[in-house]
Amino acid sequence: MGRTAPTYRQALEERMKRWDEFARLLTTPEERAAFDLVRSGARRYAAQATYVGSPDLLESILLSVLTDLAARIRPEPPERAPRR
Amino acid sequence: MSGPTSTPDGWLLDITESEDGRSIVLWVKSRRTGRVRRTAVEYRPPFLVTGPRPALVDLARSLAGRPTVAAVALGTGRPSLYDRRPRPVLTVTPMRNPERRALAREVDAAGQYETFSLYDVDLLPPQLYHLGHALYPFAPVVGTGAALTATEPPEAIEYLPPPLRLARLEVRLAGMRRGRLPPPDGRIGSVRLGEVTLEGPEADLLRALVDELARSDPDILLTQGGDSFDLPWLYRRAAACGLPPSEFSLGRERVGFRASRPARSFESYGRVLHRSASYPIPGRFHIDRENSFLYDDAEIAGLVDAARLSRLSLATVVRQSPGTCFTAMEMAHALALGAHVPWKKNRPEGFRRADRLVAADRGGVIFLPPVGVHDHVDEFDFASLYPHIMVRKNLSAETLECRCCPQSPIRAPGLGYRSCTRRVGLIPRTLAPLLARRLAYKAALKRPGLPAEEASRLRRRVKMLKWILVTAFGYQGYRNARFGRIECHEAINAYARELIAALLPEAERAGYAVLHGIVDSLWLRPVDLGRPADPEGFAARMSERFDLPLGYEGRYRWIVFLPAVTHGLGVPNRYYGLYEHGEFKLRGIGGRRHDTPGLVRRFESEVLTLFRTARDAAGVRALLPRALSRADLIAARVAAGDWPVEELLVSHRVGQAPEAFGTFTDSVAALRQLAEAGARREAGEVVRFVLLDRESRSFRRRVAVAEQLTGDERYDVGAYLDLLARDAETLLAPLGIDRATLLERWGGPLAPTRAPYRSPERATQSELANGPGPSGPFSPA
Repeated sequence: MGRTAPTYRQALEERMKRWDEFARLLTTPEERAAFDLVRSGARRYAAQATYVGSPDLLESILLSVLTDLAARIRPEPPERAPRR
Repeated sequence: MSGPTSTPDGWLLDITESEDGRSIVLWVKSRRTGRVRRTAVEYRPPFLVTGPRPALVDLARSLAGRPTVAAVALGTGRPSLYDRRPRPVLTVTPMRNPERRALAREVDAAGQYETFSLYDVDLLPPQLYHLGHALYPFAPVVGTGAALTATEPPEAIEYLPPPLRLARLEVRLAGMRRGRLPPPDGRIGSVRLGEVTLEGPEADLLRALVDELARSDPDILLTQGGDSFDLPWLYRRAAACGLPPSEFSLGRERVGFRASRPARSFESYGRVLHRSASYPIPGRFHIDRENSFLYDDAEIAGLVDAARLSRLSLATVVRQSPGTCFTAMEMAHALALGAHVPWKKNRPEGFRRADRLVAADRGGVIFLPPVGVHDHVDEFDFASLYPHIMVRKNLSAETLECRCCPQSPIRAPGLGYRSCTRRVGLIPRTLAPLLARRLAYKAALKRPGLPAEEASRLRRRVKMLKWILVTAFGYQGYRNARFGRIECHEAINAYARELIAALLPEAERAGYAVLHGIVDSLWLRPVDLGRPADPEGFAARMSERFDLPLGYEGRYRWIVFLPAVTHGLGVPNRYYGLYEHGEFKLRGIGGRRHDTPGLVRRFESEVLTLFRTARDAAGVRALLPRALSRADLIAARVAAGDWPVEELLVSHRVGQAPEAFGTFTDSVAALRQLAEAGARREAGEVVRFVLLDRESRSFRRRVAVAEQLTGDERYDVGAYLDLLARDAETLLAPLGIDRATLLERWGGPLAPTRAPYRSPERATQSELANGPGPSGPFSPA
């Protein structure tokens, strides 16, 4: 269809191929599980990252992973986070 | 709504090109007798050329007096939609209609492919005749010949369609079952036309067919595979029997037999497809259900509607994509505006900074749904969201970033593209009546006491329109679209994303949690199940708030969002669920795909029948053991080797030319078998086969093609158990089922070839929690 720029999802998958190399030298099941978590965190917020449309791929990935981790630290917020 | 202004004498069925190349033929069906009359009218439409005046003067001089040119005239006009003021225009009339394109190419070449812009080159003379004479296919008409007049406009919503006579046509070769590979000199043993079956010596049979056609005089011949088999075979055998075109023809005109379009392979939405050659039968229509994208969904009522609106012959509509219809509708509106249709789109995408491109070139919002079984889920969809946005925001190539409205308040969110506020664009002009039409049909469907036949006709028109509306958006970003522009495509997406973003807080305010969303649909679940949600009210409020129709699709008793095999997170478009009103919605599961063998469909339908009884998510989970025992029963029969081979046929669309394959796959084996039997298949065609021995390196032993099945083949048990296990995993993964465990359970001889899939999601959660996974393979979660 003549698309000229990769979608965020495509760019993310492309970048994550590089991460496989990183994972090969992780030595414990705990580390590998943690790394899987980072990976799924990066994928989880693709809709939000696409919406932002930032030219900085890493910014979007970091925001996604951090949001995912933060949500896991406090899975049940004491009060519902208000929308701006 | 406009009713007929006067009683028509009949209907214009079709306009075809005449053999002499200088006229068109009008086919009119009489209302009184039902007979179809042929009238030829002289008609040689010109094409237009623009460019610098001196160059046009030179061109006119060089064209005048050529044997291929009937007339040349220099004048002024505004052929392009972008033209603000008149400019010099050369009108060129070819001597013969079939030479239009060749002559246009010469003109283009004479201008080094850049001096001249050409218009109206590739519109067909019948299409131009329609547009120039306020006619359209299936128009009720009065008068004859050049004075033929439609009694109502094509846009009329309530109209009386012509009574079309349909007849099924089916050719059988002597001593052969259908679906087998025909020998090159196979004789025709019998022909079925409508209710009549003709048999006898071949030449007599063919003459009898011509007589029967004249007697029953059908308007439409309906076949299954007629473009690739029945029609060419009839004409080939007629020639072999020494019958000239004057004695054998399926049309209402005795013309020689030749393909109007050769067979070809092409790519569409990432898939390689193949279209057979088509053979015109002037005066009648031939609909090949295998060669028609639109027939299945729209059937005749929808096709007639599309032909009326697009001014394309039914013969064209039936073989083309909805996009071709939409483009033709745009052309009709452009000509109505006094503009003409550019031959080659001369509007390259402007160069842009890469970061602007990243910001602009984005699709709609697509969430990842939470994998698992859910209940109390309400689904909301915007009806025809993109077309509505194009109309509301006046998005069209020539109205976007126009020079006349630098202060326009209509700006695409985040991108800033302005829309014109002074004139309505071509796309909104084309779309608005289609949207209104669809709404009118839908409203008419709700009328009490509507006869079943009328209701089914309306439903088909609605479906047809839906397809055309869907394409309207895609064609904005398509490089060959005549009136498309990539920035329109981007702007539409930007508006749609903004809409979903604005809708989310509204949904939360209404007491919903957002479960899933894709572009124009939302799946919401009440946060407090004790408080009854008001979905209808929410939909109505939002429709009003955003001035776009948000519809409440219904509540699910349960819905299962499925994971990706690779990473275990949800896949946006793979789910199945049961509405409270009793209908299933299935997306992306095996049974909906074309390549799925009957075995897999059988398993899926058994699981779904079972799950139909579940009232909620817990009910689905409770049924898992029973679903598994169904799978076990099927697996046992597959393993015993007595599953009927017809239900094991795997279909595969060939993605490239047979020679281009580098590795030996199932499809390659099938292609070689077919080639050996003299039946070569091209890229885009489908091969169907049963797997005999997946490990075999011999193309004869690896598969058996459908065309040569005997019924007592010994299939590859391991391969089919694996297929079954894969499908069971697709459906049941959210309930804790995986393929490797299933194969182990069934004692399949084939070990999984790839590592068993493990959702990082599930794995990490359970590992971090230091406990067992949330669901063991066979313990109901």
